[in-house]
Amino acid sequence: MIAAAVGVAFAGSAQACELPAGTRLESQRYALSYRTIPPRIAVGEQFVVELAACAKTGSALPGRLTLDAQMPEHRHGMNYRPNLKTTASGRYRSEGWLFHMPGRWEFIFDLGGERLTHSVRVE
Amino acid sequence: MKVFIFFILTLLVSAGAQAQSLDFTATETRAILRHGPWPAPWSPDPSNRVSAHPAAIDFGEHLFFEPRLSPSGKVLCATCHVPFRGWQDARARAFGLVEVDRNTQSLLNVRYNRWFGWDGAGDSLWAQSVRPILDAREMGGSQAEAAALVRGDPELSCGYAKAFGAPPPADDARVLAGIGKALAAFQETIVSGRTPFDEFRDALANGDRGGMSRYPPAAQRGLRIFVGRGNCSSCHFGPGFSNGEFHDTGLPFFIRGGADPGRHGGIKKMQSNPLNLLGPHNDDREGASATKTRHVVLEHRNFGEFKVPGLRNVAQSAPYMHNGSLATLADVVEHYSTINPDRLHSDGESLLKPLRLSREESADLVAFLESLTERASTQQPRRPSTPCRR
Repeated sequence: MIAAAVGVAFAGSAQACELPAGTRLESQRYALSYRTIPPRIAVGEQFVVELAACAKTGSALPGRLTLDAQMPEHRHGMNYRPNLKTTASGRYRSEGWLFHMPGRWEFIFDLGGERLTHSVRVE
Repeated sequence: MKVFIFFILTLLVSAGAQAQSLDFTATETRAILRHGPWPAPWSPDPSNRVSAHPAAIDFGEHLFFEPRLSPSGKVLCATCHVPFRGWQDARARAFGLVEVDRNTQSLLNVRYNRWFGWDGAGDSLWAQSVRPILDAREMGGSQAEAAALVRGDPELSCGYAKAFGAPPPADDARVLAGIGKALAAFQETIVSGRTPFDEFRDALANGDRGGMSRYPPAAQRGLRIFVGRGNCSSCHFGPGFSNGEFHDTGLPFFIRGGADPGRHGGIKKMQSNPLNLLGPHNDDREGASATKTRHVVLEHRNFGEFKVPGLRNVAQSAPYMHNGSLATLADVVEHYSTINPDRLHSDGESLLKPLRLSREESADLVAFLESLTERASTQQPRRPSTPCRR
């Protein structure tokens, strides 16, 4: 599990919760958008995750954000622990990702205790 | 009449060709195509400034066959990595100055690796190349002795200067890193040729049923198991048939005097190695070459994990597994057919299950594995070494 105490106070309104293009996920209180660089994840190739998050109701961003990935069918995660850096308010960059097997991988985002997942198939 | 006979013969040949080619599903076809094309693209190692440089390749080749890198004068790189034995030694466990605990891995296609050695203790080919020189059981040398040899021998000193553009420096560590980088440049040239599988794979990609039919039916059936219910290609992935990572395959890891920690020990060794990619000898310190080193994570489950070996020319690299405990490909297939899940790590993966192959299916899988071996070596014969000082 990788984690970052982002500690970003977010005081914007719901209208300000605009996210850049990417895969959009929503929990009860938050919305996030993420994309990978390069866009196509290849087995055994390193990639970067860029993430943006905002509070749907105008409340503060979660004090803690964690990212991880696993292969549910294989019951294992990655062999690498990516970092997570805040690049701007509600914007993050994570380096050091590598999916080492083909199949279904599940990204896991935890925003202040609210868990969001998204599956991708890697060939 | 002649035209009619030719037409009939063509029909018969065509029908025969189709009869000998399995109808692979779209999923199977995608999985098969991922194992090529071969040779796979490759670019020089950014962490090694002399990677792919001809002068460094020449110097590295000289070093590879240089017995004085071992103070004993009796062990050279080629003692274990024997060119005419598929760049390994055909022994269960390597024997340098004494016998060690692991099987010698072939150097074929070593340039495609992410980690080096059964435990991945090398994060670059050049760091890995230095390891046996310093290992007391293998070549028994030291940094100071290796550096003094290269500085003091006119031929080696000349080779170093041509490869690196300057004579060997006074700093022993820099000379040792240079030795590793030249050895790596040479080993990067050791690539296996095309195999019957590659011909089949390309024919499949091109929809060439005639080309596909030349691939033996037993190998085709074995291939179907490999990419299908055998799940072999999850780890033996891609053109090199390895995902480059580490897995527990249920083999015993007890060795004389203890246990072989496998990947768990490899990560710890790599992290404490002054020649790792986070250190001063990486020629790409600002680039991405060290990303894997920076982010690899040490976990309890790494204990007893060993590298997934590539399978190209696998018929030439017996015996098999990290400890050389399985003598033949049939034994390897039998291992995975009857693997005991209880021997896997308690928090291990659920990927490995006994395949319970029939005798015929096992023979098919062996036939497929044998088809990953080139028919005749395409390696260029070693050139006679020419003096550096001319």
